[in-house]
Amino acid sequence: MDLEFTIREYIARNLLFSEDGYSYSDDASLLNEGIIDSLGVMELVAFIELEYGISVKDSEITPENFDSVNNLANYIRGKLA
Amino acid sequence: MNTVDFLFENTPSKSKIALITAKGAYTYQDLLDNVSHYSNQFHSWGISVGDRIGILSCNSLFWIASYLAILKTGATAVPFAATLSPDQLDTYLSSINLSLLCIEERLYRRLGSVVQKVNLFRDDAKFIEAAAKPAKAAEHVDGSSDALLMFTSGTTATPRLVRITHQNLQANTRSIIQSLNLTESQRIMSVLPFSYCFGMSLLNTHLRVGGSLVLSEGMVFPEKVLDLMDENECTGFAGIPSNYQVLLRKTSFPKRDLKHLKKIQQAGGKLPTILVNELINCRPDSEIYIMYGQTEGTARLSCLPPHLLKQKMGSIGKGIPGVELRVLNEQGLEVKPGEIGEIVARGENVSPGYLNDPLASQDKFKNGELVTGDLATVDEDGFIYIVDRKSDFIKSYGNRVSSQEIEACILELGDTVSVAAIGVPDLVRGEAIYVFISVKPGSTLTPNSVIDHAARRLPNYMIPAKVIFIDSFPTNGNGKVLKSDLRKLLEPAEQNINPL
Repeated sequence: MDLEFTIREYIARNLLFSEDGYSYSDDASLLNEGIIDSLGVMELVAFIELEYGISVKDSEITPENFDSVNNLANYIRGKLA
Repeated sequence: MNTVDFLFENTPSKSKIALITAKGAYTYQDLLDNVSHYSNQFHSWGISVGDRIGILSCNSLFWIASYLAILKTGATAVPFAATLSPDQLDTYLSSINLSLLCIEERLYRRLGSVVQKVNLFRDDAKFIEAAAKPAKAAEHVDGSSDALLMFTSGTTATPRLVRITHQNLQANTRSIIQSLNLTESQRIMSVLPFSYCFGMSLLNTHLRVGGSLVLSEGMVFPEKVLDLMDENECTGFAGIPSNYQVLLRKTSFPKRDLKHLKKIQQAGGKLPTILVNELINCRPDSEIYIMYGQTEGTARLSCLPPHLLKQKMGSIGKGIPGVELRVLNEQGLEVKPGEIGEIVARGENVSPGYLNDPLASQDKFKNGELVTGDLATVDEDGFIYIVDRKSDFIKSYGNRVSSQEIEACILELGDTVSVAAIGVPDLVRGEAIYVFISVKPGSTLTPNSVIDHAARRLPNYMIPAKVIFIDSFPTNGNGKVLKSDLRKLLEPAEQNINPL
């Protein structure tokens, strides 16, 4: 399945509690849109570790890696490569 | 005196920086211009003394200017947590009649469907260069009139509003400044939401001394927060236990220079001794203040000064100036050293009571004293040590969570027979929520399906960390579940702090 699609679905269901999908753009800042708080980031970390079998270092939890659907997808691709 | 006048009474220079946000830095003059602009708007809409105006926003110039403009018009500010779920916000809004709600645009996008019943003042994200109309003077207010109504979830699932008067706010602001010796050179990294009394007290105290605040979106990206502290040469940091747990165990904080960081404040729950020691070890040149407070006491009640931190480890100190703290036994007498009693507080900072809730007010406020619900002992020198909470809150990620609210949510699952939520000490969460549940025979519920349900209905910090199925509940003679006995069912390791 498309990586961006999986991330959008996860965020919609688990952080926005929405059954209607993710209504923001893939570039939208999760922080600036009020979609994630510090717990939300921890959930995202747990999700991608479980889903993609990658290990996220604390120092990698930055806006560059985690603050949008695109950033997350790029980060995951980089880790899987 | 109107609290707005009180806060800016000593401003050394209007050209000094007051706020540093992701959108830019603002001087005191910028802030005052925005406040005038907002309060002129409010006046033109007929807002006046006695009106209640909500604020629903993350920490920002918009939050602060709305708050100060509300006070300036003589109205009462009602801050809402930006993390409320739509259902919760709906409940909170129905508990109070608002003349207006100041709402940040991005939160409007998320919560717009719930706020349609209220008149809205929406953040247009535009910084006001200068007020179009001349600034009006702040409305005269009586010191005993409400400046704020602060939500607290209390023991019941319905939220309560704590009345904080102008006098309460000013008295507590003065006391905190004095006990921390704050001056205009302070620049604090502010990660706590202003809708939370501890966060709001940082705002009030730093404005009053003419210092400055650096705003961040909580601790979402902790390394980013540390970068901001570095770049802006922050002299102060204030946090609740979970903030320090993250900083000490999951970031480069212990290794960073942060040479300007001189004052560290910790309140909002007990930071485990092991972490206090780690903090002392990694910041030997900083003053560490351990404090204790309650919304019903405006914000803060006690302080353990830095020079006594090692000697009185585990203590919350003594009452701050203007606050008299006593620990009373069941006979209402002050306890002897070692004896356990309940902390009561007296001072100008003590709220006159809950809004429209005389019964709850009667229990919490007796003879002008705040009955805190916290059990404590006192040592020979009068230093107070909290033992436990009398009431049944769970403190999860710094939020005061009503176990009944969690239980009510889980009981929505049809197969549930009985459910009880307790807080278990946890280094990361403060307290982890453990849920005990008994179900009907043949039920297909699993721990995961219970957690999934809670995750759909409740905000993150209220989701159980663990769900334990049991056949029957230990109860007392009245059939009331004995939560103390439930704790005994836990593994010994879980009854204490989990090692990380």
